[in-house]
Amino acid sequence: MNEEFYKKLVDLYAGRELPIELEEQMELKAFGSTELSHDMSTLRRTVDTLKADRGPDFTEESYQRVLMKLYARGANIEPKVAAPMHLQYQLPIQG
Amino acid sequence: MPNDALQDSLAEKRWLASLAEGDPKALGGLYEMYGERIFRYTFRMLGNRTDAEDATAETFLRVLRRSAELRADGAFRTWLFRIARNLCIDKLRQHKLMELPPDAQYSGAEDRTTLRVAVQQALNDLPLEYREPIIYCDLEELSAKETADILNISVPALKSRLYRGRRALRDKLGSTIERM
Repeated sequence: MNEEFYKKLVDLYAGRELPIELEEQMELKAFGSTELSHDMSTLRRTVDTLKADRGPDFTEESYQRVLMKLYARGANIEPKVAAPMHLQYQLPIQG
Repeated sequence: MPNDALQDSLAEKRWLASLAEGDPKALGGLYEMYGERIFRYTFRMLGNRTDAEDATAETFLRVLRRSAELRADGAFRTWLFRIARNLCIDKLRQHKLMELPPDAQYSGAEDRTTLRVAVQQALNDLPLEYREPIIYCDLEELSAKETADILNISVPALKSRLYRGRRALRDKLGSTIERM
């Protein structure tokens, strides 16, 4: 298969949507083509970077501010609050 | 269905049923389940915390107001993201009218690595039609079908936008990606 064929598959390669055999064929082909190799590696790194991004932190302050906004607008909201640590374990009954 | 996903699905059905019965406290359960995801999504769309908090609160208020329309048929998440999306698009239009930079408060107090800032800034620079598929599919890891439903386009059209968006983002990140 020629290089043009592999170029069309780079998007799928980057998103890890190809069967492993085809992925290996592409990597082999990329050894002989700087352009294909560059396209494959940079695009895959871009996708991997995106997928590894945890995103903005939903901080406790943000969580509370959203709750306050909901209260202020009339929502009778009652989120589940995690039980305090000392209430999460049952103590053995003595005596 | 993995066990966690099954538990989430059952919990979602329970909260939706309670909300439909007029129990306003059920909103708290839905906020616990989806608050963080909606916040992350709105932050990525709008680029700053204050607007993201406003949009998150407004999204859940709209859920409450429209609780009569709710159906526990598995499409709630799509519907929720659609509400958040409409709110974000309205806010982006306001920003444009007021000529406010969308990332005005982003780089201030946020403690982020250079890469995360670079990705968010590059994302902000992308046209909305490319930015949205990346946020849904790559960052929020929604399925292609779910994303296509939210955006009201076909799955092939979504894939096309996603692939173009990734390439545009790669080009904007330029040397940052090359150095990795």
